[in-house]
Amino acid sequence: MNIRRSSNGFAFLVLLTGLVMVIVFNLTGIASAQPKLKVGILHIGSIADAGYNQAHAEGAQVMKKNLPSVELIEVENVPEGADAERVMENMIRQGAQLVIPASFGYLDPALRVAKKYPDVKFVHPGGYKLAPNLGTYWASTPEAFYLMGVAAGKTTKTNKLGYVVALPISFFLANVNAFHLGAQSVNPKVETRVVFTGTFLDPGKEATAANALLDQGVDVVGVIVDSPITVVQAAEKRGAFSVGYHYIGVQKFAPKGWISGIAFTWGELYTRFAKQVMDGTWKSEALLGDLSSDYLTIAPFGPGVPSAGVELVNAKKKEFISGKLNVFQGPIKDNKGVERVKAGEAFPIAALGKMDWLVEGVMGQAK
Amino acid sequence: MGLTAKQANEAFRFRSRWWVSSIRFFGLFGLAFLVFAILLLAFGKNPIKAYVDIFSSTLGSTYGLSEILVKMIPLTLTAVAVAVPSRIWLINVGGEGQLYIGALFATWGALTFNSLPTWILLPLVSVLGFLGGGLWASISGILRARGWVSETISTLLLNYVAILLVNFFVFGPWKDPESANYPQTAEFVDAATLPAIGGTRVHMGFIFVLAALTLFYFVLSRTRWGLEMRAIGGNPEAARRNGIPITGYITLLMFIGGGLAGLAGMIEVSAIQGRLRPSLSPGYGFIGFLISWMAGGNPLGIVAAAFLLAIVTAGGDILQMAHGLPGSAVNILNALILFVVLSRQGGKVGVKW
Amino acid sequence: MVGSSLQGLLSGSIIAGTPLLYATLGEVMGERAGIVNLGLEGVMLMGAVVGFSTTVKTGNPALGVLAAALAGALFNMIFGFLVIERRANQLASGLALMFCGVGLSALLGAPYIGSQIKGLNEIRIPILSDLPVAGATLFHYDILVYLVIPIAILIWWALFYTRWGLSLRAVGEKPTAAFAAGKHPYRLQYQALFIAGLLGGIAGAHLSLAVANTWAEWMTAGRGFVAVALVIFSKWHPLRAIAGALLFGGAIALQLQMQARGVPVSPFLLDMLPYLLSLGVLAVWGGARRHAAPASLGQVFRGTE
Repeated sequence: MNIRRSSNGFAFLVLLTGLVMVIVFNLTGIASAQPKLKVGILHIGSIADAGYNQAHAEGAQVMKKNLPSVELIEVENVPEGADAERVMENMIRQGAQLVIPASFGYLDPALRVAKKYPDVKFVHPGGYKLAPNLGTYWASTPEAFYLMGVAAGKTTKTNKLGYVVALPISFFLANVNAFHLGAQSVNPKVETRVVFTGTFLDPGKEATAANALLDQGVDVVGVIVDSPITVVQAAEKRGAFSVGYHYIGVQKFAPKGWISGIAFTWGELYTRFAKQVMDGTWKSEALLGDLSSDYLTIAPFGPGVPSAGVELVNAKKKEFISGKLNVFQGPIKDNKGVERVKAGEAFPIAALGKMDWLVEGVMGQAK
Repeated sequence: MGLTAKQANEAFRFRSRWWVSSIRFFGLFGLAFLVFAILLLAFGKNPIKAYVDIFSSTLGSTYGLSEILVKMIPLTLTAVAVAVPSRIWLINVGGEGQLYIGALFATWGALTFNSLPTWILLPLVSVLGFLGGGLWASISGILRARGWVSETISTLLLNYVAILLVNFFVFGPWKDPESANYPQTAEFVDAATLPAIGGTRVHMGFIFVLAALTLFYFVLSRTRWGLEMRAIGGNPEAARRNGIPITGYITLLMFIGGGLAGLAGMIEVSAIQGRLRPSLSPGYGFIGFLISWMAGGNPLGIVAAAFLLAIVTAGGDILQMAHGLPGSAVNILNALILFVVLSRQGGKVGVKW
Repeated sequence: MVGSSLQGLLSGSIIAGTPLLYATLGEVMGERAGIVNLGLEGVMLMGAVVGFSTTVKTGNPALGVLAAALAGALFNMIFGFLVIERRANQLASGLALMFCGVGLSALLGAPYIGSQIKGLNEIRIPILSDLPVAGATLFHYDILVYLVIPIAILIWWALFYTRWGLSLRAVGEKPTAAFAAGKHPYRLQYQALFIAGLLGGIAGAHLSLAVANTWAEWMTAGRGFVAVALVIFSKWHPLRAIAGALLFGGAIALQLQMQARGVPVSPFLLDMLPYLLSLGVLAVWGGARRHAAPASLGQVFRGTE
């Protein structure tokens, strides 16, 4: 019983100290600096991941370089859910006027915070809901993936292509489908296999998944997870080719087997957002870029890609930009045999959020 | 299983004058903060400014305080979830899994009965949450009551099964058709959402906490059941010979403990996240275990410990925003606090495996 | 086709199972001496980060492995101090150690994210590696994979066939009797925890230096806890742990392999099997034979009482 009493004593002391501190810290304020434009950005992972997060982070750095009057508040490794809301609120309390919640799963928390602070602007990458002060932006990547497929189709020796993907989100499925269609257009014999790791980042699983694909005879491995390093390295180790994603500097991890990659270069876009917020011209919209935008870039080609492949890619790229070519041009059947796009029609890019199937010739489970 | 003479002697040491206790108290936590400060210095950061920032951002505004309360709610529930069974020396490390299954049951209720009015739906969902966690823990309770498997092991293993089960539903049958195939359930209707107070995120789950703490204290100290529980905790053999149904209590207390953790899961989906996702809990179950042990299973101590850990954990944000440290670094401070407390607790009553 | 499937599965299981096995062997050591360490996850993370950063700085993955082992051992000594010297509650101390490991590894590893290393290389054995099927399946791994089975056997032999091992197990079963017989329970427990730390550190290093060749926060993703479950599954026996690690590692690898082959299987239901099996094994054994666990597991030896 003595122990219980002393536990009570300790508890009282903790709470008393807390109370004292509450009083102290509420009486003394922290002087707030005079705000320039403060931009807050949240990352789901590390900004050095040579992938998704680094692309966003470097975009923010370019924005800062272009607009010296911008101050950046940057937080990494923010888990989705309740913590994200708190971090966003903290940024706003520090004076952030523009918030970039850079992860798909931040959408709900961001919408909640946006409702609370109608004067703060939010731009969310990859989101599918808008609010008066929350806009979304993304680059339509299927065309770029199609081009990657073309390059891969021309480079593969085994005609087996593989993709390590985090989750079967519609946009990712669309990317893989586009990749396969592109490869098929130059090499009718290819087949593509997809493995889902179930999470945006788990290097152990990604390596195992890549190796599982390579065991099947795949010799081109693509990747859609937050950090492409693991998969690209795994492919390189076993002498296979790789296709990168997110970040433009991934080639150094696979000097021999690198084919190309799709990179996001958000810098100029972020600069535009910041300028619009500063002079009050920002409006909420669902921005969707394409190959002609300055935030979607095709990485340089690696040594293993035949020059015929490079030429084809460039040619098709022009066709996409001019509107002559459409990625999801019918007829298209899914890998269960169901017809998804009729002949003469095309799957609308705007409806990509509903794509929950994989194209015929792709081995994998969409649901 | 009572105190030995040596342990009782050590216990007497605590009953010293209050100011000696205070010095010991501040010295205790001060040590943890000091070591962390040295670590910060080693990495080129200013520890004083860091601590000022942590406390001012968490305690220096109504918003900060409200966020501390928000964080304390699930932590207190999972801590009491451990404390209740610990009265008869049961070790429940399964708070995480019980939380998940509670969330699972609650989600089922919220999605299935989404046309019911709030005053029916919300209590229903709460009961389901409690039921889910309680049933999950009862598995371990029964396994232990029958003498087959230690509850420490079974609760630990069932954590992973629970998380995988939730993943199964969220990635499969319950996936929201409106969310671009992203693994999450549909959003809860307003009727199934726990309302918040004022403009903060402090929600009615707060009531659950108060109820749990008061009931726990009251039952333990003033009812016959509490007496029987303490008897079992004091001397199981004598209790059994006096006719106290030990196996019954084992199952019952595990059920109640699990139910409380399940409630924590329910409030997480209903009040905070608004839907069920794979990333439901940042380890509330385990942190609750640590809180309960720090506090010796004492209700007031649980509140104090939860308060402290909530401050430190929330303080991680400002460490990152203003000092360039990885947010995860606050785990070190939390661990140091725990180490310091654990290294003192060692002299107290040991725990049966 | 079946051949390559089986081969792929087996090699996947071996690669995924190796870090698990190292960690499990370490935990078996500790638990045989009566100490349960839930903080294994933290130890593995320290090994992973120190191994990776050392390799980045020195360019030599072997040095990385050594540094990782040492780091793991030293980190585990914190835990040892708490539970042996200060007689703290083992479960709580373990969890606290885990949190410490998560935070400390994040702090230490932050500057190294995105760095490139030349990880542990495949080692080809002259004739064996070139065997048609067996070669690809069994003989093209890094050195840590080759070493794990001999180490497991070594630990088994040490635990069951040496006097030291006997004393250690005695401490885990009945520390008062061991003390009375002139053994030094505390010293033995420290030794066990040191070895456990070495092995846990190597487990983490294998993950960052051989499997993934990179560092990311919390990259062990729960494998430390899986190892704790594995110890239970293998009934505290090092040789059974080999089979267990293959099984658990296999579960991870299996669902990824099945996807690569287009077989519809729910990865989550599959992943549940190892845990349910562990519980089942224990329930069945527990009913028939009291406890397979060392009798004094979790209790604290109090000297002369």
